[in-house]
Amino acid sequence: MPEFKIKLKKLLFFSEPEKDEGFILKENLYDKSEEERNRQDIENNSDKKPSPKSTRNENILYNKQKGEELDGKNVDKSQKDDKQNKGQKPEISKKLSDNLEYMKKVYTIPINGDVILREFDITIKDDTIEAFIIFFDGMVDRKLINEAILQPLMLLSNLDIKGKFDDIASYISKHLLPQNQLKVVNGYKELIGEVNFGGCGIFIDGVSIAFTADVKGWEHRNVERPNTELVIRGPQEGFTEVLRVNTALIRKILKDEDFIVENMEIGRRSKTPCSLLYIKDIANDSLVNEARRRLKSLKVDYIIDSGELEQLIEDNTYLPIPQIIDTERPDKVASLLTEGKVGVLVHGSPYALVMPATLTGLLHSPEDSYIRFPYSNFLRFIRVMAILLTLLLPGLYLAITNFHPEMIPTDLLLAIEASREKVPFPSVVEVLMLEISFELIREAGIRIPGPIGPTLGIIGALILGQAAVAANIVSPILIIIVAVTGIGSFAIPTFSLAFSFRLLRFGYIILGAMAGFLGITTGLFIQGIILVNSKSFGIPLLIPFGPRTKGAATDEIIRAPIWKQERRPDSLNTKDDKKQPHISRRWVIKKRGE
Amino acid sequence: MKNKSEIVIGKREATTIIIALISTQVFLNYPRAMAESAATAGWILSIYATVLTLLLFFIISKLYSNFEGKDILDISEYLAGNAGRIVIGIILIIFFTFIGAVILREFGENVKLVSLSISPISFILLFFITGMIVGAYAGLEALVRFSAIAVPIIAAGYLFILIGVSQYFDVSRILPILGTGPIEVFGKGATRISTFAALIVLFLMPPYIKTHKNFKSVGYWAIILSGIFLTMGTLSYLLVFPYPIATESSLPIYQLARLINYGRFFQRVESIFVLIWDASALLNLSITLFLIVYIFKKTFKLEYYKPLIIPFAILVFNICILPRNLMTAMDMEIKYFRNYSSIVTFAMTIVILLLARIKQRSMKKERKQSG
Repeated sequence: MPEFKIKLKKLLFFSEPEKDEGFILKENLYDKSEEERNRQDIENNSDKKPSPKSTRNENILYNKQKGEELDGKNVDKSQKDDKQNKGQKPEISKKLSDNLEYMKKVYTIPINGDVILREFDITIKDDTIEAFIIFFDGMVDRKLINEAILQPLMLLSNLDIKGKFDDIASYISKHLLPQNQLKVVNGYKELIGEVNFGGCGIFIDGVSIAFTADVKGWEHRNVERPNTELVIRGPQEGFTEVLRVNTALIRKILKDEDFIVENMEIGRRSKTPCSLLYIKDIANDSLVNEARRRLKSLKVDYIIDSGELEQLIEDNTYLPIPQIIDTERPDKVASLLTEGKVGVLVHGSPYALVMPATLTGLLHSPEDSYIRFPYSNFLRFIRVMAILLTLLLPGLYLAITNFHPEMIPTDLLLAIEASREKVPFPSVVEVLMLEISFELIREAGIRIPGPIGPTLGIIGALILGQAAVAANIVSPILIIIVAVTGIGSFAIPTFSLAFSFRLLRFGYIILGAMAGFLGITTGLFIQGIILVNSKSFGIPLLIPFGPRTKGAATDEIIRAPIWKQERRPDSLNTKDDKKQPHISRRWVIKKRGE
Repeated sequence: MKNKSEIVIGKREATTIIIALISTQVFLNYPRAMAESAATAGWILSIYATVLTLLLFFIISKLYSNFEGKDILDISEYLAGNAGRIVIGIILIIFFTFIGAVILREFGENVKLVSLSISPISFILLFFITGMIVGAYAGLEALVRFSAIAVPIIAAGYLFILIGVSQYFDVSRILPILGTGPIEVFGKGATRISTFAALIVLFLMPPYIKTHKNFKSVGYWAIILSGIFLTMGTLSYLLVFPYPIATESSLPIYQLARLINYGRFFQRVESIFVLIWDASALLNLSITLFLIVYIFKKTFKLEYYKPLIIPFAILVFNICILPRNLMTAMDMEIKYFRNYSSIVTFAMTIVILLLARIKQRSMKKERKQSG
């Protein structure tokens, strides 16, 4: 009864609503004061000239460090100081408990669920030494940890092992850890970096060093066929997301000790491992240095894919034409490296970057060298035609039908006019409408969930092909033009190059509709001037046309027979510019001698 | 603008630049002008002008041999200090501004005549001006490289037209062979060296083409090739059209292109001609605009030339729309450009070089006497 009374009361009388405040992200939670921000900037750009302000800040840092030293290894500091410590590379303590506490602090251990910290004892010559290992579950090979780290340390250490016993650290590393990649580290920073990337950190009491073992073992995709660059002849392997697998795929092809894989980390937080690839005695040093300089100068938080890296190191962001070759084929990277180019692999990305790029180079497919000479030249010719069609066809159609109808033979003109008779729109609207809907289908085709993919094709074909013509919205001739344009763009081997031409096509449509051939010529002129003026890693994009270089006929525009390709591209100024002697098919001489 | 030492223009590139500047006239009214002044001997006049220019260039290159790597502005500075450089610079700026404006107007009007008859002239000029500005912004390196790519393509298209009309050739149309007579052709015709007035670009190039040997070979090649293009155009025009008709057409090469007839399907390909025509105009005009700002920069020893581009583009545009119509513009070209431009290119250059040489000698003598 009293409950009922309360309910009635609540119903009849006004009561203040309960404070039911949801989650609000407070804006000023991590706001930093101006001074702090400045200090961080200075820390980040430590290579800059120190301003008076920064020297003052340095003093603050110095004092802090001093204070820490006085306190000993004080781990009970605020999180902010931890970050400071990370940057300051504190040494690993001799006391295990200090290390343990520090690691717990760094990895926020009870909260962070996938960090495993396992404590155990090692028995060496009747001494019991405390130890612990730390690793990320899921990123490591568990079996390897059990068999190559825990088992020997916990169980096999009891065995009477023959050999010298100098100190615990070297004894453990030489006798007790049968792991093939074991590193000795002195600082926390290095250890944390290893652990973050699938390593296992091993701490032992009474030793001021720690070990890291490479036990990476996360789930990853296997080597599969490349998705975007298919060939009929040639290798069918594509890169995966794992850096080491990718470097191995290339090394497997090159089999050359002068092939250098230079490791570096990019990303202040992500510390994404990247590799700079080049062949030491072929690639021009200044090119390698420039690539290294650009990569090392990057100050970003996270790098996830090579697509991001490409945008960070390319010469001109606003140019529609890509200035770096991206490929998912190890054989393409390998053959470009043998020409003297430089490659970059990013961990987590199945696309390698190769630079410098030239416009003609972007038109090459690795298949060109695998199939016979006449076929590959035919393919190259087809590709150039594909580019011209993609870029200019709709624009030319508009220019000719609107401004230069006299160009069209009478019969064809009548056919076009007859098909356009019932269409109510001006032809430029018609072209734009159809082109945009074609782009829509294309974009939707990529984003659409797999199972309903085929439906899209049906809808697209039905609406664009049939219904639009039947409803007199577009003329059938235009459908042919847009279809040819689309097919042309698919025939361009580099995806990003095809993208740029798809984009520029709209410019030519507008120019063609505005001023016919004059507009298109102006467009071509401006595009040509901009292209001729742009460079990729110090090399003009339009080589071998502008400036003209040697070897245009060997493998740049058309492809000479493979035995005639004697020199590497002139523009790359390689250390060794000869690929093969003048006569590479020695049997030709032998036959003559007989 | 990069440092001088950084940009080196190859022989081939320098040659194409000069060809682009000189041979563009063949797309305007050059063949008709030849027909007007020498009737059926127009092509002989064209060859004669080329030979005369070669002779003049021979003299100039001899005089130039002591000034390797120096352009005409440097030499005039050597001769008369800052005042000399500024005077010559201003003459050249006026010269190029005038040429640029006239050519811009003629091309614009001709495009209007051929394909965009309803559009206002200012709309058509807008496209040319945009191209010019972009070209000038891209700078010398881009322009020379682009011309090295574009000139061969334009030349191929031009040859395509000439070959296409070869079926209409009739040798009897160029008879009598000496046209208006030898006095008219070889006497008055000497002023025709103005055709090659754009050769003055070469005298601005030495800092970029470095050696005197290159300078000579670029000059000879450019004159010979331009001469061949111009003569071929004139000859084909005169072989196809009888003299009375030949003097009337305002767009000779376009008239030729209209005749092309490859089978039943390709009957009217003259619009292709519009493509190469526009391309050559854009190339010519953007080089001219670049030269104007480059000379301005060099004359007044400025550090940057890019801020000058838009003002000068507007200036050229304004001058070019001053004439009331195409006829007035062409009249201006005939009256001034054809008569006086050779004075700037050849007479002025020779006088400057001669004086500079005399000064050089006298200074050497002085040095010998004092030493």
